[in-house]
Amino acid sequence: MEREELKTQLKKQIVEFLNLMQVKPEDIKDDEPLFGEGLGLDSIDSIELIVLLNREYGIDIKDPKEGRKVLIDINTMVDYIEAHRTK
Amino acid sequence: MFYFHHITCISPQKTFADIDIENIKPPVENKLLVAEPVYDGIPLGILRRMGKAVRIGVGAALKIAKQNPNGVVIGTANGGMEDCIKFLNQIIEYDEGILTPTNFVQSTTNAVAAQIGLMSVNKGYNCTHVHRGLAFENAMTDVDMLLKENSSHSYLLGGVDEISAYNYNIELLGGWYKKEKIAGVDLYDQNSAGSIAGEGAAMFWASNNEQNAIAKLQAVRMFHSEDENLIADELKKFIEENYLEEESVLFFSGENGDSRLQKYYSASEEIINKDFTVARFKHVTGEYPSVSAMAVWLACYILKEQILPDHFLKYSSSKKDFSKILIYNNYKGIQHSFILISRK
Repeated sequence: MEREELKTQLKKQIVEFLNLMQVKPEDIKDDEPLFGEGLGLDSIDSIELIVLLNREYGIDIKDPKEGRKVLIDINTMVDYIEAHRTK
Repeated sequence: MFYFHHITCISPQKTFADIDIENIKPPVENKLLVAEPVYDGIPLGILRRMGKAVRIGVGAALKIAKQNPNGVVIGTANGGMEDCIKFLNQIIEYDEGILTPTNFVQSTTNAVAAQIGLMSVNKGYNCTHVHRGLAFENAMTDVDMLLKENSSHSYLLGGVDEISAYNYNIELLGGWYKKEKIAGVDLYDQNSAGSIAGEGAAMFWASNNEQNAIAKLQAVRMFHSEDENLIADELKKFIEENYLEEESVLFFSGENGDSRLQKYYSASEEIINKDFTVARFKHVTGEYPSVSAMAVWLACYILKEQILPDHFLKYSSSKKDFSKILIYNNYKGIQHSFILISRK
């Protein structure tokens, strides 16, 4: 899968998994922070995103420190998916 | 008992804003689904995680929670059943592996009361009653006991249940919903088993303060029985104990079109004074375990506004100016309740 195609798919999955009402996948910028000022996600969402990576891409993040480096924005998530996906 | 002050209701009908109980919405595929309002008071980040039962419960409660009640008491048979089933299905689908927390958090029956407490920063008494078709009646009894112990307190009291795919399908298979299409008041004319599904949330601010009250809860009685003669005996005693023989009373019947349950409603109508007006509400609410909460909301509204649209009426007496409403509800032919509401 091409990187841009993966980004589009991931944005759709984030909107669906987190039930982000009033957010369209195409509105999420690649370098927009997922937490805090950007998309405004919180700690429960971080667990939902770890579940998303596990279910959709076969990635198992067990170390919370590793999660912090991955769940920064769409770019960092896609980098990690490309490097570690098992499905 | 106690007084009702603020009352709110999110239901299939126009009961939350621009209230209109005259023009009613008919069921769609035998379901009366709630007309959800715009939830101004719930932040989007929290709203997106809520299942329907939690959403309508919190949405209806927040206006009342602003009155700073001393506690929150909710009656619900199922709570967030839809989320509960999603969570259980995930356990199977993902082989007890990594699971999402949101569905789990929302799936407990006390999620509604908990969210109301959290969102209104109410650290007082917080309790959920789950006695199926008598859940709301038990919540009312709890509030009554609390107010007897703490006469100056006030409580947020409510009843909420949702139609979930799971409970609808199970109840349909159990014969509790009709197979033929129902358009509205024809619900009562089918002579077949089952009713129509409903859902809703009704909330009340309850206290011992008579001043500015909308209505008064005068008495509640609940019991389990399959014997229609016992229902008639209990109703006779209830009427005598509350001196209703000579009163102008509206008998608000939970008749739901299920031919198997008609014997209970017929037996109760045999007992009541012929001067009572008889009205029905299940074509407006649908059938669900905590529907008596919406019946109480309707009773408060009818007493306050002194309007009773014709579609509710079964038999009308010559007396139009009723001051009391006696609700008889029956869940699945075994759980029965009498609730007496009066103008304060």
